[in-house]
Amino acid sequence: MPMERKRPQLNLDELHQLKWLLGGVLVLLSVWTVFYLEFDAWTLMGLTTVAVSATLVRPDWPARVPAWTHRLVFPAVVAFFIGDLWVTGEVLPAVVRLDILLLLYRGVSYRQKRDDLQVIVLGLFLIVVAGVLTVSLVFAAQILVFTACALGFLLVITLVESAEKGAGKKVANGTPSWAMHTRWRRLWVRVREVTDWRVVALGAALFAGVVVVSALLFLAIPRFQLENSLFLERFVSKKARSGFNETIKFGDVTDIQQDTSVAASVDVTDRTQIPANPYWRMLVLDEYRDGTFRLSPTLRRAAFTPERTETALRGALRPVLGEPVYWTFYLESGISRYLPLLGSFEQLRFRETQNFRFGEELGLVALREEPATMTAYRVEGLSTGGTLPDAAFAKSLKEHKKSTPKSDTLLMLRLGVGAADRALLEQRVKEITGGAELTTGEFARRVDVWLGRHPYSLSPRIPDGPGDPLVRWMSSEEGGHCELFAGSFVLLARAAGFPARVVTGFKGGTWNAYSGNFTLRNSDAHAWCEIFDRATGAWLRADPTLGAGGTQPHGAKGEATLARRTDRSWSARFDSLRVFWYRRIVNFDQRSQVETLKAMKEATENSGRQLRALLTAAVERIKAWLAGPWDVRRVAKLLALAAGLAGAGWAWRNFRLGIFGAGTRRRGAKDDPVRREAGVWLRRIADFGYRTPDTLAVMEELQRLRFGAPATWPEPEAVFRRARQAVRELRRRAGARK
Amino acid sequence: MSDFLQAAQVTETKQALDRLRGSMQTFIKGKDEVIEQVLVCLVAGGHLLIEDLPGVGKTTLAYALARSMDCTFSRIQFTSDLLPGDVTGVAIYDETEKEFVFKQGPVFASVVLADEINRATPKTQSALLEVMDRARVTVDGVAHAVGAPFMVFATQNPVDYEGTFPLPESQMDRFLMRLQMGYPQPADELEILRIARTSYDAIAVNPVVTRAEVLGFQALAAQVFVEDSVLDYILRIVTATRTEAEFKTGVSVRGGLALRTAAQARALLHGRDFVLPDDVTELVMPILAHRLVLVRQTSDALEERRAIMSALKRILAALPPPA
Repeated sequence: MPMERKRPQLNLDELHQLKWLLGGVLVLLSVWTVFYLEFDAWTLMGLTTVAVSATLVRPDWPARVPAWTHRLVFPAVVAFFIGDLWVTGEVLPAVVRLDILLLLYRGVSYRQKRDDLQVIVLGLFLIVVAGVLTVSLVFAAQILVFTACALGFLLVITLVESAEKGAGKKVANGTPSWAMHTRWRRLWVRVREVTDWRVVALGAALFAGVVVVSALLFLAIPRFQLENSLFLERFVSKKARSGFNETIKFGDVTDIQQDTSVAASVDVTDRTQIPANPYWRMLVLDEYRDGTFRLSPTLRRAAFTPERTETALRGALRPVLGEPVYWTFYLESGISRYLPLLGSFEQLRFRETQNFRFGEELGLVALREEPATMTAYRVEGLSTGGTLPDAAFAKSLKEHKKSTPKSDTLLMLRLGVGAADRALLEQRVKEITGGAELTTGEFARRVDVWLGRHPYSLSPRIPDGPGDPLVRWMSSEEGGHCELFAGSFVLLARAAGFPARVVTGFKGGTWNAYSGNFTLRNSDAHAWCEIFDRATGAWLRADPTLGAGGTQPHGAKGEATLARRTDRSWSARFDSLRVFWYRRIVNFDQRSQVETLKAMKEATENSGRQLRALLTAAVERIKAWLAGPWDVRRVAKLLALAAGLAGAGWAWRNFRLGIFGAGTRRRGAKDDPVRREAGVWLRRIADFGYRTPDTLAVMEELQRLRFGAPATWPEPEAVFRRARQAVRELRRRAGARK
Repeated sequence: MSDFLQAAQVTETKQALDRLRGSMQTFIKGKDEVIEQVLVCLVAGGHLLIEDLPGVGKTTLAYALARSMDCTFSRIQFTSDLLPGDVTGVAIYDETEKEFVFKQGPVFASVVLADEINRATPKTQSALLEVMDRARVTVDGVAHAVGAPFMVFATQNPVDYEGTFPLPESQMDRFLMRLQMGYPQPADELEILRIARTSYDAIAVNPVVTRAEVLGFQALAAQVFVEDSVLDYILRIVTATRTEAEFKTGVSVRGGLALRTAAQARALLHGRDFVLPDDVTELVMPILAHRLVLVRQTSDALEERRAIMSALKRILAALPPPA
């Protein structure tokens, strides 16, 4: 037979008060995200905090707001939002301010169920925006508290709903009754009374369990290759870009520049190592033919190793003493199969095994195919200077010179233009050099100046006419883009006898201040040249494009130069999220993760072992104690212990003392200490089974205390005093009767 | 409960009810318990079903009550050819007035004795039960209040079932209590035999309370305080009957309400303005027993009653009253 018992319940007013409290807390919790959301919403946040706190203290205040203001709120909010959008022009901050404004209104007016749900959604929006934009630990704590609060809030909403039987009362006009007499302390006492702590404990345990499981999953997830499991990503192919292929037509790189999406993100362990003007090389184009530069098959064969399938490769540079600088590249899919690099390096490590070919002298790495997903690789000891030593080329150049001087069989000397154009080019070279024999650097500088008469233009016009289009453009005064500048430079250099080549990749980039990494966008795509300096046996970088910073190598480095590039825009915030995620999932070695899990396992095992040892020791002690000789003192001790236990049990039974007090303090009579005590005395008197007129009178009073209306109670302490006397009397008489 | 009873009111009520009790005890010998339950039923504003053999004093009981409180009394002997109109009254055509005039039936009295209610056809039974429920009679679309107080004593013969129409469960539920008179103790019966009179009409009773006072008791009883744990106790009892395997159906919500109302009335009867668990325990049998049906029904009403009683006793023993 189930013993069903009625538990005291909150009445409707109390539920409303609880709902009001929780709603206010939710509003405050969510608007406080402004503290770390770098928005200009401080005034609104402060206003909301003050107003909502005030209505929490005095829930009857919202009733004093005149009714017509409620009609004005909607147009006012819309006007505010439109004005805000108009003045600032930024959408997200305006939406956040709108959200806070709505929360403010909801917080200071009486809410119906719909409005309560709105509070949750509005609050959740703020919290999620804050979380997505900051990815901070504060966010984790806040969303935990918010979730718990919102769950409680929903529960109360449901309770109110069922208590009202769905008949939603109008709250727009006048003060609702619950707001008239809100006393939070009393509500707290009532909530404690009606709360079944076992249910609360169970709920808390479940909630904690979910949190712990989520945390464990978060720790463990990178062990699985997420992107391999999510095959869906492979179907989402980005628009193929033709810019970084082996062949480049004029305008291809420029096309890429139209696209502002992120091409790659770079993490550097030492920011001071970032050059002020970085050139991220991806591809070298040596052969010029039919107005097109391309990577010649000859060079591809000669300069690249056969395909390797490994996770790491050793570069041309030898390790130097000291802590190496790590450059971690996250190359987005759909960019190229050539990896952007600054120059030679000591070592390159992929996250997973890759099929690649390595051009050591060219300083290039080519994957077998364009990766479908983000590719991460880490480079140690990346050379950031503008020069690329190439001993092999110097040697072949020397041999080549010996055999057939002044010929252009070597591709990087071959002009690839007709005789007329060749003559024209040689004439231009004479114009530039004045017939003098110049050093490589000086020649590059002069060509740079000479080409400077062309303005920079993203939509160049190449004059019509016979011959090579590049030579035609060179001779004109039309504007051009980086590819035309670089191509002209290479042709002029080759005509002057300097080996030269076009390099494509990215130039510059921005420094993301939120995630602390370098961001390369497709709009940073660039083409420049490398000219071979016979004196040093190295390729010098030359960027003839106007405004690109000249041809001299840029030694400047350091954090100060980052300031110029720092990007604090909104897109940077979103990009930073992507980097956070990459950092989270990309591990070049899983050591740290494995160590974390191992440490957890050890901690668990250790605590288990200690517990077992403790238990064993305790059992041993008891055994030893039992085996020890018995004497009077031990027996006395044992008896004292038993007596103590019995006393504690008796005290618990009669006074509900002890640690379980909170758990058993519930239901009916147990709620009220007076009723409880009256019940105890009644039982005690009833146990005697013998009454005197005095006891009957006391029993009547006790019954009134136990079962009567509180307003009719006699003074409880006096009744209990009389009850004590009556029990003493009964005991005396019972003794006498025996 | 905002307005609490004044101690003086309660005392006065107890004195008045004691007078009533004393008045009835002079005519009904040795049936103090039954008298108390009748008074509880009166104060609670309910109706009584008395199941017992003929000739044990049912009519005398009802008559004594009616006379003691200065109320009208009428007796309807139910037979299989009794029509609803015989109970409620009919509208007859008045030649002089040229219209239908309602002629009140025997049910228009404060205390109505419906003798052998199970002899009448269901149609007639339901006519009576409707009056019991609404305290008014509707004839030709016109409602006629029967007046207050209004209390029906219905009787049934538990042994002789030949040619009867047993009341269905839904109608049993409308009676607040079911009582048994039983034979009096030998000493009491000797006393009865010693008295010369034979018919209840010969009883000369002076009214000890007025009709208005009775209505006051009823209003007062509703204000008697019931503590949460006592309500909880009632709920536990009611719930237990619903889960008890021996019963086909448990006690209805109306049954639980009846138990609470009767407990309030009993508390008032004992001069208390609050209900004790004892009030509930004492009333469980008369209030709940007739609302329960056994799974295995027996042909003998007395045996069935005993089985129900013992099951209820078991339930009461298993449910400790709040202390």
